[in-house]
Amino acid sequence: MDTKDQQSESVSPGVMLPDTTLVPTILTPDTGTYPIEGDQKKKSTSPLQDSLRRLRRDKRAMVSIGVIVFFIVLALIGPPIYQHVGGPYQSSVNGVVGPSQYHSFSYEELGQNTQDQLPSAHNWLGTDEIGRDILARLMQGVLISLAVALVVELVDIALGVLIGVLAGYYGGWIDQLLARFTDLMFAFPGLLFVILIAGIFGNWADIHLSKIPVVGPNGNARLLLVSLALAFTTWPLMARYVRGQTLQLKEQQFIEAARSSGTSSWGIIIRHIIPNLFSLVIVVATLDISNTIIGEAGISFLGLGVQAPGSSIGLMIAAGSQQILAGHFWEVLVPCCVLAAIVLAFSFLGDGLRDAFDPKSKD
Amino acid sequence: MTAKLLEVSNLKTYFFTRSGVVKAVDDVSFAMQPGQRLGVVGESGCGKSVTALSVMRLIASPPGKIVGGEINFNGEDMLEKSQVELTDIRGSKISMIFQDPMTSLNPVFNVGFQIAETVKRHRKDLSNEQAWRRAVEMLDLVRIPDAKRRAKNYPHEFSGGMRQRVMIAIALVCNPQLLIADEPTTALDVTIQAQVLELMKGLSHEFSTALMLITHDLGVVAGMCQHVNVMYAGHVVESAPVQQIFETPAHPYTLGLLQSLPRLNERRGSKLTPIKGQPPDLTNPPASCSYAPRCPKVQNRCRMERPQLMRVGRGEQEAACFYPN
Amino acid sequence: MLQFLTKRLIGLLFVILGVTFLTFIMGYFAPGDPIVQLLGQHFSRAEYLQLKHAYGLDLPWYQQYYNFLKHLVQFDFGYSYQYKNRAVWDILKDGVPISAELGLWALLIQVLVGVPLGIFSALKANSWLDTTNMGVMLAIYAVPVFVLGVLVQVAIVWLDQHVGFGWPAANWGNAWSYSWSDIQFKLFPILVYAATGVAYFARLSRTSMLEVLRQDYVRTARAKGMTERVVVYRHAFGNILIPIITYLGYAISFLVAGAFFIELIFNIPGIADITLSSIQNLDYPVIQATTVLLAVVVVLGNLLADILYTVVDPRIKVS
Repeated sequence: MDTKDQQSESVSPGVMLPDTTLVPTILTPDTGTYPIEGDQKKKSTSPLQDSLRRLRRDKRAMVSIGVIVFFIVLALIGPPIYQHVGGPYQSSVNGVVGPSQYHSFSYEELGQNTQDQLPSAHNWLGTDEIGRDILARLMQGVLISLAVALVVELVDIALGVLIGVLAGYYGGWIDQLLARFTDLMFAFPGLLFVILIAGIFGNWADIHLSKIPVVGPNGNARLLLVSLALAFTTWPLMARYVRGQTLQLKEQQFIEAARSSGTSSWGIIIRHIIPNLFSLVIVVATLDISNTIIGEAGISFLGLGVQAPGSSIGLMIAAGSQQILAGHFWEVLVPCCVLAAIVLAFSFLGDGLRDAFDPKSKD
Repeated sequence: MTAKLLEVSNLKTYFFTRSGVVKAVDDVSFAMQPGQRLGVVGESGCGKSVTALSVMRLIASPPGKIVGGEINFNGEDMLEKSQVELTDIRGSKISMIFQDPMTSLNPVFNVGFQIAETVKRHRKDLSNEQAWRRAVEMLDLVRIPDAKRRAKNYPHEFSGGMRQRVMIAIALVCNPQLLIADEPTTALDVTIQAQVLELMKGLSHEFSTALMLITHDLGVVAGMCQHVNVMYAGHVVESAPVQQIFETPAHPYTLGLLQSLPRLNERRGSKLTPIKGQPPDLTNPPASCSYAPRCPKVQNRCRMERPQLMRVGRGEQEAACFYPN
Repeated sequence: MLQFLTKRLIGLLFVILGVTFLTFIMGYFAPGDPIVQLLGQHFSRAEYLQLKHAYGLDLPWYQQYYNFLKHLVQFDFGYSYQYKNRAVWDILKDGVPISAELGLWALLIQVLVGVPLGIFSALKANSWLDTTNMGVMLAIYAVPVFVLGVLVQVAIVWLDQHVGFGWPAANWGNAWSYSWSDIQFKLFPILVYAATGVAYFARLSRTSMLEVLRQDYVRTARAKGMTERVVVYRHAFGNILIPIITYLGYAISFLVAGAFFIELIFNIPGIADITLSSIQNLDYPVIQATTVLLAVVVVLGNLLADILYTVVDPRIKVS
């Protein structure tokens, strides 16, 4: 049989062809651009470049990236800078102190007119109910949020991808186990689980986990516990998504081709499936970060996470909310706005990434 | 001369999109007699579906818009009608069935309801019971076995061919004067295709319903239609009684279509003869004959002006070509 | 249909088993010895063993679990560790109607306000009404519930101080009664509690409606001569119920989580509030009881969603 076909060049009725129509589908709202002949003459770009280009055009996503970068930079280099700004200060209670102390997040100033202050040259964002500098606590809180998000996402991605791929590719008992597990996770609110773990094992963690190097005292042990608990409740969803995508990929022809050319299962997974999970994992991870930050803030808000003298945005909101009745709104509004900004930024970024990678999913 | 059932003159339907204005239907004129079976043939994107939807006034607006021309049904101007009047006409005077039977029926209602609903909509004098009985009658008519029981079944309990029959039942239950069928059998198995087409032909004959059959398959047209319009790039390029289309095709495109059909008696190993080239970009139609880039018989004049439909030979054949066969 | 429900029921029973087991394990491995805490400072070994035996804590773990389950099905939650003479149920019983009231109102508002908002947005897709609506919904959805709660409290207090608004910023009236004073207590907490869900249902309904309106069967309905009204409210609406009901189970799950924050912020003495204080006091019987209770609520909610499914989706009704 002659194989010199000119498929896309010719049209012949009576033979079913895919609808490469130049006319939009009837009765659908205008959802996007239509393939016009001219497009094919442009230089071909890789899907990744296409996605990045679409992302760059999404203003909301770009602004979100800016906001996120701003907060990361703030959390990392803010404290050292802030602790060198300002001269020595005569505190009525603590003697003469330098900015490295009064601009740190745990320094308390319980004198007259030093609590619940609005922003001033001395404390750039004012002070809270026991005279601590709000800006310093804010920066520390953001640092904590980002650190927790990082740890949780690492576990989330590692476990989620691993189990998801195995469940999707091999099926069998792994898949069954994952399904039962995720059912359990969905039925039992994740937050409840984290609350219980953090509440019951919090003290124990303080005592025992502090002994691990790097973690150390200062409430970090509890943070580790909260992070692990949050990670535990987040990975099943990632695994579910990865499993779904793996199932789809598995059916595609290039997998068939790889298999028939002798690639081992493991090789297929590593070389073909995992790289194609990239966009899905990025989108889900970004949205998960948003949820994790809310989770950590929530746990700390309930008093089960970071403890004083440490700082967390949730803790700041909780403490600030006690001052509402006294009419001190500033100290609760600042952390609320910051948390809202960070969470919205990650949400918009996640949405933007999803639209950039798969514009068809847009409305 | 009997009054024409449908008269379309110089119809222009454009779609205003972000990448430009797509001139999907660009000056189309044709007419249908009562009870006539007309075939509309062409490849994907030639404007045949858009023409039909324009007649039904079902073009989504934005981005589509009927920008010019006239559509007269039973002497009445369809373009002047209000939305309410249009909903009265659709389903009762003009009906349409679509290509994919798997998705054209609402999954949450049983088929009896979907037929009876049409009855109740257009015959407000009938009771629910009467409408239901009519629905069962129709199911019987389209040869769904055990109609009374199956009327209570849901679409997912039927096969593709049977769902298409249900669609036909819905379309014909109020005895419309015109049935438009947009590629009704394309998504079905070949054997089922034949059955469904037979059914449509029979019912059209029995109830004197005019039939506009849209398809890309010339073979279907041969058995079903009395008259054929061939469309290309948004307008009609040939219009003739079915016999003449097959025996003496006038327009080079029609000729190309016929030549590209695989035949049973061809030698083994011989190639198919497709039409070279691609259909033109509808956002920028050229001022020339739209087929010129692909026409094997193209002359200079073809590249400069666009031919209108002109009578060819004796009889009713027309072609839009300066140098017809 | 029966097959579907039975399968789901079994799945849910499995979940309850899993949850009770987890709760039991948590109590079993929890740090601290409750007997020691009960006995206080000075006690003899004999007293210790006697009390341990009385609480059944010297039995092997599987037998303890079995006893735990056995008591659970009889609604016997045991006695609190902290309030030594009070039965756990006694502690819980006041909180249950309060949390139930909060939760039910919130769920009702989420569905009855969220869905129409979403449909409205879909019908006016891409107009300024739609864009603003969805923008607001996104903001409400993304902001955590406790931030919303705190901000609302700030607003109430501010209005009180500057405009003499006079509504309470915390506490609850009487359970299930609706005098004007009760409404003043309850309105804002319920609205805040429902907010996230309203936003999600609105977005979900909008997306589903737009998708359904694109479907072929909607085109068929129009071709049949149905008026736009019928097309939207009969043909389209029936099909968006499926994704909405699917989400209902999750919505209940989120409500359970949100209860902790709402009850804390607005000082409402519900189940979540009791759970929090029992965690602080390490009162394990209470913790276990509330956990199981909350998990059962979520499970029942999912079951309800599944039952509604069978009513709405014929593919499940008849299979």
